[in-house]
Amino acid sequence: MEQGDALTEAPRASGTVTLTNLAKRYGATRALDGVSLAVAPGEFFTLLGPSGCGKTTTLRSVAGFVTPDAGDVAINGTVVTRVPPHLRHVGMVFQHYALFPHRTVAQNVGFGLRMQRVDKAEIARRVAEAVALVQLPGYGGRYPGQLSGGEQQRVALARALVTRPAVLLLDEPLGALDKKLRDHIKIELKRLQREVGITTIYVTHDQEEALTMSDRIAVMHRGRVEQVAAPRGLYETPATAFVASFIGNINLLAGRAAGSNTVDCGSATLAATGAAPAGAAVAVALRPERVRLDPTGAVDTVLAMTVAHVVYQGETVRYILKSDAGLELQALELGEVRFTAGARVRAGWAAADAQIIQEGIA
Amino acid sequence: MTRGARVLLLGPYVLLLAVFFTVPLLLMLAISLSRQSFGQLEWTLTPQHYIHFFTDAYYLGVLADTLWLGAITTVVSLLLGYPLAYHLALTRSRWKPLLIVFILSPLLVGIVIRCYGWMILLADRGLINATLVQHGWLTTPLPLMYNKFGVTVALVHVFLPFMVLSLTGVLKRIEPQLIEASQTLGASPRRAFFEVTLPLSLPGILAGSLLVFSLAISSFVVPILVGGFKVHVLPMVVYEQMLSVFDWPFGAANAFVLLLISVALIAVYIKVTERALRGIV
Repeated sequence: MEQGDALTEAPRASGTVTLTNLAKRYGATRALDGVSLAVAPGEFFTLLGPSGCGKTTTLRSVAGFVTPDAGDVAINGTVVTRVPPHLRHVGMVFQHYALFPHRTVAQNVGFGLRMQRVDKAEIARRVAEAVALVQLPGYGGRYPGQLSGGEQQRVALARALVTRPAVLLLDEPLGALDKKLRDHIKIELKRLQREVGITTIYVTHDQEEALTMSDRIAVMHRGRVEQVAAPRGLYETPATAFVASFIGNINLLAGRAAGSNTVDCGSATLAATGAAPAGAAVAVALRPERVRLDPTGAVDTVLAMTVAHVVYQGETVRYILKSDAGLELQALELGEVRFTAGARVRAGWAAADAQIIQEGIA
Repeated sequence: MTRGARVLLLGPYVLLLAVFFTVPLLLMLAISLSRQSFGQLEWTLTPQHYIHFFTDAYYLGVLADTLWLGAITTVVSLLLGYPLAYHLALTRSRWKPLLIVFILSPLLVGIVIRCYGWMILLADRGLINATLVQHGWLTTPLPLMYNKFGVTVALVHVFLPFMVLSLTGVLKRIEPQLIEASQTLGASPRRAFFEVTLPLSLPGILAGSLLVFSLAISSFVVPILVGGFKVHVLPMVVYEQMLSVFDWPFGAANAFVLLLISVALIAVYIKVTERALRGIV
């Protein structure tokens, strides 16, 4: 609590964002198609999805740059759907930071305070605090053009936080940075967010960013929310085939539900977890690292397969397996290469590791 | 291509510039410093014509009028051109190419024709005055022509495209995200304009203003036709001295005063832009 006191002491309990049935069309495309979300105070909430899925439009409706055709946006319980951006009191970090090139770092950070007509001495004090919070002391007199990408990013963050907004919006803020810097800033950003305790909505198409930083993630696809869950829940129990395939690598085995916790995929009967009406078209979602080759312990399903390809990836080895009936499966193992192409193996898994996904849920 | 060959390719242009621009300019400078008696030039080095210019109230008045016309034309072009440029920079209309043609249209018409066009509109019995008088709204026609007002109108008309194009180029390059960023920080759209858009468009304002100003102070045909020899500007004095009075040395001195003022303005412009562009480029 030594630096950035003013930022952390502000009461934060009320920073909620609630979206109710947001809809937005651009011509024939539905950018948002009934988006409802509730972000809790202090939460790091991520909107994740491929480009064009509606995540940025959702974020921009919270900021006020997009007015939805239908539905409501509420910040701290107040409906702000028709309130212009400058009266919403949100902090936003843009993809390319959008620092004012004609103003110094200190003037950039102090801009929001000046708009609020805070007096000069107070601005100077709070700007110094904010610049210290993002670990850029002594940078106040520089121009954005003289800063590296990572430094610009931190200035943008300080500028967004210094006015103590109700919610912080981040639009792919790591997109313009190189990989090494990104990994570093990811941790830094999360630390800062926890320290300040601000409700944060983060937009990204990068699942790794989403999984490592978020408290909860909403996966979006074609203007709709596919699933909202904590990172682990999203990875381990995806609700739809889209979520399953978008997050990490996964085997999706198509078949029909046959009784409880079993799926008939034509050539074999698979054990999995989840309920679906008998006969319904479903998919079994199974992570490659949960497939055990020549299992020694207890498994619920065992298939006889042939190793078609071996992909050596250093710390892991990926096997592409094929059954005689044409079923394809990927398996991932840590450590040394145990099988070579052409080898016959038994691939098995526990029912708890395979999820039944009802197609058509999305 | 070798360096020598490339330099050689510049040859024709350098030669053209030397023969038809540099040499005549130096000749003019020499003439402005020479004496003339009974139609004969005596090659001397006398500042007398410059002293004459700067001590005669008439010529100082003409200089002031010329600069004043340039300034007014620049300010009016800026005020009219900025909204136009702003729209042109932001519009996604499919009519945009047509809009650009409209903006450039004054340049597509010959200067004399354009001036006669204004005369038809602005003259005492022109379209505007005739209509006003006919309907009994006025008893005597408004003085729209043969004065600075008419000349300014006609000058703004021709030079507006230069202002608009200078501004559009700069306005187009301003990131829309910068405006949005200022809005999330609490700036109203009006405030965002004055805090972000306007300062960032300063290079365009300066470039456009310099261009319009230097074109306006050196314009000749428009003040003659629309001003009807009642508005005296420096280029006109140069013309009179050279071709009516045949006082070449004094005419050359006038021309050089105009040239030096233009060069001084460009120098000031470069200095000012360097400072204003701090952080922008």
